[in-house]
Amino acid sequence: MALNNKKEPILTINNVSKRFIKSLDLAGKIAQRFGADIREEVVHAVDRVSLNIQDGEVVGLVGESGCGKSTLGRVVAGVHEPSDGNVLFRGKAIEGLTGKDAQEAALKIQMIFQDPMSSLNPRLRVQDIIGEAPVVHGVVDSGNITDYVEEIMLRVGLDPSYARRYPHQFSGGQRQRIGIARALAVQPDFLVCDESVAALDVSIQAQVLNLFMRLRQELNLTYLFISHDLGVVEHLSDRVVIMYLGRVVEVAPTETLFADPNHPYTQALLAEVPRLETRQRKFAPVKGEIPSPIDPPTGCHFHPRCPKAFAKCHQETPALKEIESNRFSACHLND
Amino acid sequence: MSLSESPTIEVKDLKTYFFTKGGIARAVDGVSFSVGRGKVLGLVGESGSGKTVTGFSILGLVDEPGRIVGGEILYRGENLVSASPDRMRELRGVNISMIFQDPMMTLNPVLRIDTQMIEALQAHESISKDDARQRARDVLGQVGIASPDERLRSYPHQFSGGMRQRVAIAIALLNKPDLIVADEPTTALDVTIQGQILYEVQKLCSQTGTALIWITHDLSVVAGLADDICVMYAGRIVEQGSVNSVLDKPMHPYTDGLISSVPSRNKRGVPLAQIPGMAPSLLKLPKGCSFGPRCAHFSNACDSIPDISNYENGRQIRCHNPLGAGTTLRVTD
Ligand SMILES: Nc1ncnc2c1ncn2[C@@H]1O[C@H](COP(=O)(O)OP(=O)(O)OP(=O)(O)O)[C@@H](O)[C@H]1O
Ligand SMILES: Nc1ncnc2c1ncn2[C@@H]1O[C@H](COP(=O)(O)OP(=O)(O)OP(=O)(O)O)[C@@H](O)[C@H]1O
Ligand code: SF4
Ligand code: SF4
Ligand SMILES: [Mg+2]
Ligand SMILES: [Mg+2]
Repeated sequence: MALNNKKEPILTINNVSKRFIKSLDLAGKIAQRFGADIREEVVHAVDRVSLNIQDGEVVGLVGESGCGKSTLGRVVAGVHEPSDGNVLFRGKAIEGLTGKDAQEAALKIQMIFQDPMSSLNPRLRVQDIIGEAPVVHGVVDSGNITDYVEEIMLRVGLDPSYARRYPHQFSGGQRQRIGIARALAVQPDFLVCDESVAALDVSIQAQVLNLFMRLRQELNLTYLFISHDLGVVEHLSDRVVIMYLGRVVEVAPTETLFADPNHPYTQALLAEVPRLETRQRKFAPVKGEIPSPIDPPTGCHFHPRCPKAFAKCHQETPALKEIESNRFSACHLND
Repeated sequence: MSLSESPTIEVKDLKTYFFTKGGIARAVDGVSFSVGRGKVLGLVGESGSGKTVTGFSILGLVDEPGRIVGGEILYRGENLVSASPDRMRELRGVNISMIFQDPMMTLNPVLRIDTQMIEALQAHESISKDDARQRARDVLGQVGIASPDERLRSYPHQFSGGMRQRVAIAIALLNKPDLIVADEPTTALDVTIQGQILYEVQKLCSQTGTALIWITHDLSVVAGLADDICVMYAGRIVEQGSVNSVLDKPMHPYTDGLISSVPSRNKRGVPLAQIPGMAPSLLKLPKGCSFGPRCAHFSNACDSIPDISNYENGRQIRCHNPLGAGTTLRVTD
């Protein structure tokens, strides 16, 4: 494991921030028309995140709703440009690439979205959804595309005789497989999976998770696996990254993190994970107040809820520091 | 059984069908269960198995082309299936509340949160505006909303999705109802916030005797929260019993498959146990047992729809070949 640090990472996230001007949604616009006093706000969705991911690794990304997981995933996949910082793929900054290099990097990192229905074009047949990009980008020539699509459908467990169907003719689990097939068709090295099993039924979830694990081995893929389900992340990941309000607060190998969490937020998270074995438990209230990403607390973002907070935590932001080999945490208690 | 011990809600052989162009979808087809004062029932099942329609039936919210075509829903002995729309409106929000899968079903986008909460309170009891505001404020705090005074003056869109869901939960808790039907209310929330909400819900059940039906596909949440569990598949309950008995000794092959596929039940990095295939369309149910095509225990008998059989400790199973039947006694009645 320690050796991993010496190899060049497949992906480097370098001090990346992403800010959004929060424009009004429909409800907001309606309310504004009815005379409500509403302004646009700046959201610090991702705040100076740095992370290395090694070739072939599965990194789980965990955190509460709105903490910036999807935004970070989208920056990695090139869907969003970072507001600050940059992302390096095999040592080269993606932003600075041009021409063939830029195209290659774009193909090598693919994203699989949470909601398969809204990310698949409803008017295209499955064969075109899967086959379009590889032909356009010359991954395969158009004469061989039927065979190629068939091969990929088989690989993700879809019956190739359905190639001429449309997305709405499939179940949720099958649509997620179509999304996976589309991503695989351009022969990526790196997949960003954003809540890729969250919308699926429990029984189908297991099928798709098994598929991800098999593909990793067969194709030597690297994953950034975003999920709020700690059970799923524990099962699948080699390493886990915990985010809180836009910042990474802890990074550790999966077994270490679950056995011995360092950051007080990680500890709170793990204490609350529901388990089949824990029956009729006494739930506990969250201490302190829950902050918003629009107006995050000063110092350590977690301090209003942290049972161990002390004076320094209110003023100074704790840096993410290596506390032992391959383990990072952002908490003043480690000073 | 004395009157005080009779259940808050008793659903008997409920049938709610949707009469669609493509045929009749038997979304709820002969469902029976009851929940007593202060008790929690976990209702689990795959997408489309009829969980939400069961909840809607209890609240009298089933719309065309759907209709309750059979059975009884007894709320403290009163049959809601034959209750007038006025009576249902009277009960909803005061005696019976629902927390919807989508919080915007509860929230009005053009009204401030305080207006909505004070209205909800004043609609059903004579309480001064100041007292109502105070109660609203307390309940927002209970679901983990920071600076509730400020938040009361906000509109729904100024909240994140998770916060909207918590406001909707707060509104359901406002009147301390006798019965809450909660439809996947914490699925999108971080486990620490989920824990906070479960804490408040649990407190309400034990202090005010609220009966709770918690709909979810997450067995782990049910394990920690519920007293009893009903497992639905394609419109029918296939297994029910106490949480401990069902989770420790599942007897229906579908329940057994669900439990085995939970990641924490599997070794890290090893493929998860999985149920093959997928849930059938209600318009094209397989002949006989609906789970048949996915079941490893299928036998010739399964070509006919299995009836409910009763086992010791109030367990009920709908299967011709229940697992571990040798160790759990069947009760004939
Ligand atoms: N396109 C956008 N415009 C404005 N704000 C955005 C945009 N995308 C995300 N945000 C805001 O950035 C913050 C982080 O959002 P993000 O979707 O990354 O969270 P997340 O961790 O993926 O949450 P979830 O678990 O709910 O998916 C949120 O406050 C969100 O409202
Ligand atoms: N308005 C409607 N018209 C026709 N059929 C409907 C309608 N509403 C529900 N149904 C049918 O009822 C069945 C049960 O739906 P329900 O929403 O109760 O499922 P659920 O168990 O809550 O699923 P999920 O976990 O996805 O929320 C569905 O399969 C659907 O076919
Ligand atoms: S820095 Fe302070 S507030 Fe933040 S997690 Fe550590 S102890 Fe808690
Ligand atoms: S009745 Fe038969 S097919 Fe259905 S669950 Fe039982 S064993 Fe399986
Ligand atoms: Mg997200
Ligand atoms: Mg539902």
